[in-house]
Amino acid sequence: MNFLICLETGLREIAAHKFRSALSMLGIVLGVSSLIATMALTAGIEKGTRTFMQQIGGLEFVSVQNKEISNAMIDFWNLSPGRTLTDAYAIRASVPNVSHVSPEMSHGALVASPYSSERKGVRGVWPDHYVVARHEMAAGRFLTQLDVDQATHAVVLGDGMARRLWPNLEPKDIVGRVVTLNQSPFVVVGVLKRYEREQDKRMRAILAAQGKDRARSGAPARGRMAGRWDPFRQKNESVLIPLTTMFHEFKSGQFPDDSVESVRLDTLSFRVANLDYFRETLDQVRRALDVTHRGVDDYDLETREEWFDRMEASISATRLSGGLIAAISLVVGGIGITNIMLASITERVREIGIRLAVGAKGRDIFFQILIESVSIAVIGGVIGIAAGAGLIQLLGVVAPSENPPLMTFDSVIISVAFAVLAGIVSGIYPALRAARLDPIGALRYE
Amino acid sequence: MSLVSLEDVRKSYRVGDQEIRALDGVSLRIEEGEFLAIIGPSGSGKSTLMHLLGCLDTPTSGRMEICGHDLSSASADKLAEVRNREIGFVFQAFNLLPKLDVVRNIELPLVYAGVPPAERRRRAIEVAKAVGLGERLGNRPTQLSGGQCQRVAIGRALVNRPRILFGDEPTGNLDSATGEMILEMFRQLNREGKTVVLVTHDPDVAAVSKRVIEIKDGRIRREYVP
Repeated sequence: MNFLICLETGLREIAAHKFRSALSMLGIVLGVSSLIATMALTAGIEKGTRTFMQQIGGLEFVSVQNKEISNAMIDFWNLSPGRTLTDAYAIRASVPNVSHVSPEMSHGALVASPYSSERKGVRGVWPDHYVVARHEMAAGRFLTQLDVDQATHAVVLGDGMARRLWPNLEPKDIVGRVVTLNQSPFVVVGVLKRYEREQDKRMRAILAAQGKDRARSGAPARGRMAGRWDPFRQKNESVLIPLTTMFHEFKSGQFPDDSVESVRLDTLSFRVANLDYFRETLDQVRRALDVTHRGVDDYDLETREEWFDRMEASISATRLSGGLIAAISLVVGGIGITNIMLASITERVREIGIRLAVGAKGRDIFFQILIESVSIAVIGGVIGIAAGAGLIQLLGVVAPSENPPLMTFDSVIISVAFAVLAGIVSGIYPALRAARLDPIGALRYE
Repeated sequence: MSLVSLEDVRKSYRVGDQEIRALDGVSLRIEEGEFLAIIGPSGSGKSTLMHLLGCLDTPTSGRMEICGHDLSSASADKLAEVRNREIGFVFQAFNLLPKLDVVRNIELPLVYAGVPPAERRRRAIEVAKAVGLGERLGNRPTQLSGGQCQRVAIGRALVNRPRILFGDEPTGNLDSATGEMILEMFRQLNREGKTVVLVTHDPDVAAVSKRVIEIKDGRIRREYVP
C-alpha cells in the first residue's frame, strides 16, 4: 500500500481524535523533552569542563613531582640532586616530543606599588611557561629568553594582582610601571588576561547589567560566588620574573658553590607536543630524569589523564541518569500509544474489514496502523523537542550560574530516532492484531 | 473454461463441540456474461457461498476455481489479490468509509492495487461519472442518500475492472424505487458484458436475473430460469 495514503489516513485519524491523540502523545513529549534537556545539560557541562581543561593546560600538560623515597633507597637519597634546571635541560635536549619545558622557582616577597603592597609568592620562570601554563596577554609582552639570559628586572603580573596594585588603571597603562619586590624595583612588562570560568564570566555580565559592577576592583565576587573554588586563582595572582633573576635576587648565597643549575626547583612541568606518542614520551622523559637523578627514584610524572578520566566518568554518569529518566518516560509514552491504538482499532474493525474486502492485504493494514502510531510518536517527538528547547531557555533563566545548557543537533536527531522507535515498538502489537482480523468477521462487526 | 467452478465444495464451522455444515457439497459453474441470482432463506448457507465466491474465505474441502485461480486452499494474501483484481463486491450496508469522500472511496481498491495517485484519481472520477455521481465527487457518504451510497459502492466495485460483480442483497437497505434503479444498473452492466451474481431472498430481485439457484440446508435445491 502506498505510504502517503497510510500517512494521510493516520494523520486524519489523529486529527479526528485530537484530545485522545494529545493524551497519548504526552508521554512521548515528556520523554523527548527530558532527553533533549538532559543532553543539552550534559553537553553544556562537557563544554565547560573541556574549556576549563584546555585553559589549565589540557592533556598535554605533565608535571614532575617529588616522591617519598622508598626505605630501601634511603641511603642513596643524597646522590640525587632533586629537581633542578639540569632536568629541564635534559628533557629539552633528549625528548623531541616535548615542545616546552617550564622550570619554576618560587619565593615569597613583599610586592609593592605606590598604592598597595602585600606579601606574595613570586615565581621565576622561563619563557616556555607562557605556553605550558596557557597564558594570554592582556597588555604588554611575556618574559623573553633575553630577560632570562640577562637576568633583567622584568615582571609579568596576573590580572587580579595588577588590578590590586593599581586599582585605577587599565592593564595597558600598568605596563611600564615599576613594582618593587622586597624593595628591588622591577618593570612591569606585561599583564596577563583575566582567567575565569564560563559561569563567572556570565555572573559578572549579570552583575554589570544590574549596575553592581565589581569588575574594576578585581576583587573576587561576593554573594553567590564567594567561597567557591576558583581554579584560575593562582593564574590570576601570578607575579612572574625571569628564572635567573629569581636565582640571583632571592636564591643565591645559601651555599658557597651554588649555581642556577644546582638550586632545587619548586615545580617542573612540560608540554607534550603530539599526544599520539604520549606514553613513549613519558618513558623518554623518565630515562632522561633517571640519568640526572643518578638512578634515584625520587620523582613522579603526574599527568592529567586520570583526572580527565574521572571528569569524563562523571559526565557520562550524569548523561546516563538523565537518559534513564528519558527512557522511562519514553517507555511509558509508548505504552500509552499502544493502549490508544488498541482502542482505535477496536473502534475501526469495520473499516479494516472494508479495506480487506476491497483487496487490502494483512500487511497493508499492518503498515497503516504502524504508520499511524509512528506519526503520533513523531508529532509527540517534535512537540517534545520544542518543549525541551523551552525547558533549556527556562533553565538558563532560573539557574544562570551553571554551565549554560547547549542544545546540539545530535540530540535532536537522537530524540527523533527514539520517538520513531517508541512509535514502532508500541504500534507493532496493535498493528498485528489489526492485520490478523478476518474479513468476514470484521465486516459483520457492529 | 468457466469463470467460476465449484466442485463438491464443503464448508463447516466449529461452534463449541458442534460442527455446523454451512455448505454440504455444492457444485456450481458460472460462465462469462451470466446474470445469476442465488436465493434461499436465512441460514441456508447462501451467505457462506457468497463469501466463498467473493474470495473472502476458503472452503473446508472441495475444489474452487475463480477466474483461473485455484483457491481451494489459497493463502490470505492470494485471496486478497484475487478480491482486488477480479472481483467487485457490493454490500447490503454499502460499507463505505465514512471519513473519505466519494472519489477516495471509489479509488480504494486501486490504492491496494498499487496504481499511482494521479491515474487512480482519474479513473475514480471517470467511474463516479459513469455511475451518475459526477456532481458529488467531494461529498462524504453521510451527505449522500442510500441510493447514492450504493452507487458509490458499485463504482468502487467497478473501478478495478473486475470480471465478476457480486451483490449481497444490494437493494436490501433501499426503498423499492431506488432499489429498482440499482437493479437496473446491474442489468445494464450485465448487458455490457459483465458477469453479475446477486445473493438475495427477494424473489423480485431474483426475477431480473437470467438464472436462479435456490439453496437450502447447504445444498443446491433447485435451478431455474425465471
